Amino acid sequence: MGGVGAMVKGASYSYAVFCGSFLRSPRLSFSIHNKKKKLLKFRSFSSKSTCSSLQPPDVSRLAKTAQISLTPDEIEEFAPKIQQVIDWFGQLQDVDLQSVEPSIRAETENNLRDNVPETFDHRDAMIGAVPSYEDPYIKVPRVLSMD
Amino acid sequence: MILTLQTPRPLSRLPRFLPFSTNASITLNQSQPATCTSPPPPHSQILSTRHSLLSRQFSAADLLRSHLNRLNLTEPHLRSFLHLPDPSDLLAQADSLDRRIAAGEDVGPLAGVLVAVKDNICTADMPSTGGSRILEGYRPPFDATAVKRAKELGAIVVGKTNLDEFGMGSTTEGSAFQVTANPWDLSRVPGGSSGGSAAAVSARQCVVSLGSDTGGSVRQPASFCGVVGLKPTYGRVSRFGLMAYASSLDTIGCFGSSVADAGILLHAISGHDRFDATSSNQIPKFISQDVPNFLSHFVSASSFESKPLKGLRVGLIRETIGDGVDAGVISAIHSAASHFEELGCSVNEVSLPSFSLGLPAYYILASSESSSNLSRYDGIRYGNQVYADELDSLYGSSRANGFGSEVKMRILMGTYALSAGYYDAYYKRAQQVRTIIRNSFTEALNQNDILISPAAPSPAYKIGEKKNDPLAMYAGDIMTVNVNLAGLPALVLPCGFVEGGTAGLPIGLQMIGAAFGEEELLRVGHIFEQTLENCRFVPPIIAEDIAS
Repeated sequence: MGGVGAMVKGASYSYAVFCGSFLRSPRLSFSIHNKKKKLLKFRSFSSKSTCSSLQPPDVSRLAKTAQISLTPDEIEEFAPKIQQVIDWFGQLQDVDLQSVEPSIRAETENNLRDNVPETFDHRDAMIGAVPSYEDPYIKVPRVLSMD
Repeated sequence: MILTLQTPRPLSRLPRFLPFSTNASITLNQSQPATCTSPPPPHSQILSTRHSLLSRQFSAADLLRSHLNRLNLTEPHLRSFLHLPDPSDLLAQADSLDRRIAAGEDVGPLAGVLVAVKDNICTADMPSTGGSRILEGYRPPFDATAVKRAKELGAIVVGKTNLDEFGMGSTTEGSAFQVTANPWDLSRVPGGSSGGSAAAVSARQCVVSLGSDTGGSVRQPASFCGVVGLKPTYGRVSRFGLMAYASSLDTIGCFGSSVADAGILLHAISGHDRFDATSSNQIPKFISQDVPNFLSHFVSASSFESKPLKGLRVGLIRETIGDGVDAGVISAIHSAASHFEELGCSVNEVSLPSFSLGLPAYYILASSESSSNLSRYDGIRYGNQVYADELDSLYGSSRANGFGSEVKMRILMGTYALSAGYYDAYYKRAQQVRTIIRNSFTEALNQNDILISPAAPSPAYKIGEKKNDPLAMYAGDIMTVNVNLAGLPALVLPCGFVEGGTAGLPIGLQMIGAAFGEEELLRVGHIFEQTLENCRFVPPIIAEDIAS
């Protein structure tokens, strides 16, 4: 347990330094790049041990869920960048958030308007924006497929 | 000489006596190099426009032509605008206004004021693309409430400005259409995502502009371009018509070349809107029974007492002036702190615990919410469609074709963070961090009247510098995101220069206030600005034009 604890502590420190290194002037980019490589390695190792139940992002599956058809080139380009950012997100795992209430947003009142239908005056402009329209239908391709 | 006209209700908000210099905007002094001292500090272009029009010194058509000339000269270099209407449309509006003034009719407080609007804010008579190919050519069937209100008060919308696609970015390089240049150095970015709106005001292509601020997208470009940027309290300005990026963080903000102008524009667009359930009913602290009080804050420096901000407690956020922040920026902020002390404030350092957690929390929340908000762009009801035989493929191809890389990546990251099993680990934890940050600001603002920090850790950097490194770009938002998480108002105004470009690069000071405390920010900001012994923040690209 102590071992894991030490790794967790180390992870927070490396995250902080990692963030800090990105705040430095770009004139130091060469040395930051090397530092980055070292820190990246350390971080991915520690994030695996602190968040072992979380699978790393599977970009093709995410793209399917998000309904964006990515090319294989794009998947290859995005995967390391997304991995890097998700790893960076992981630093929140190390924060003690017990008994902290989540906030949906800043404090606002609940100002709902009356549930009364109104006529929208610019229906034509709205219909005019539809890419594929055949009065009175918005045309779409077939919804069900065999596979 | 001020003509006495019958003043209608909107005008009665303005003091009948204009207490400061009434030189028209086009007799500004020539800008001088960054090291010199004092041409007169900026006063309100909006109020001097009003004075010029009502006293018949200039016509609205004259003022419009003068701005359009400057716009046409500078636009090939800056590329601030994605859409410019036919000039004859604008001239028709100006002529109509001139006729009404000549007939002694009432005109609104923004009459004749040229406003540029960020392209993620819907305008019915101009395309609104959100900076994205997926909405290329899209014309909304309605005006955003903020635009509607500005137009009702007489503003002339001069065009739609460039932005990072859907507000995602800090450089405006993320636009699908063009890269906007910084008027202070054409090889540098104007900041983002409201880079076009900031550049347009900086280069005096228009008088004021609207932008949006979700994680700093008004404040950071204001700093990079040497203009005033105002982010209101979440809920102060209706989001109806602002293309949603992260609904719990988005705000519409204002740019101006002076604190007074940003404040007057904010005043015009603020207030509850039944079309935005998160817009507040709270009576803003600057609309009291005695309405002229609001504008009476923008008095001339000659009427200030010797210590006009005596007793004001200013807290300098310690975490924003340490490691990773440019030495020039830190120095400019320390000078600003000294200036506050000269004005009678007590300036102390204050520490905000968990400050650095705000950045990953912000990006988790923003990516997650954006993945949901951008699911509406499916090529069916609006936007550009890539046809396919099956619905899923149509969605996939339309979105793949229409969205840029940064947008795609953020949607994917958000999709991951919200996936079953990960919600608790990411989104929920980020919301808990939001609570911690809110509480830390509340505590700091109990002990201080305003908090100050830089608006960005560096001045404007070169175009292309951060393009391939998302985390390097995100890191630059460290000064601004916590304010969005807490929903607080913040004002950025130029406070100094660092070396770079041909006349130096401007640095912005961020002032953060309590919720709905915009009036205090504007009052303090105006006094700070009017007493700043420094040059006008007029970029070299237009210095000659302004002088002539």
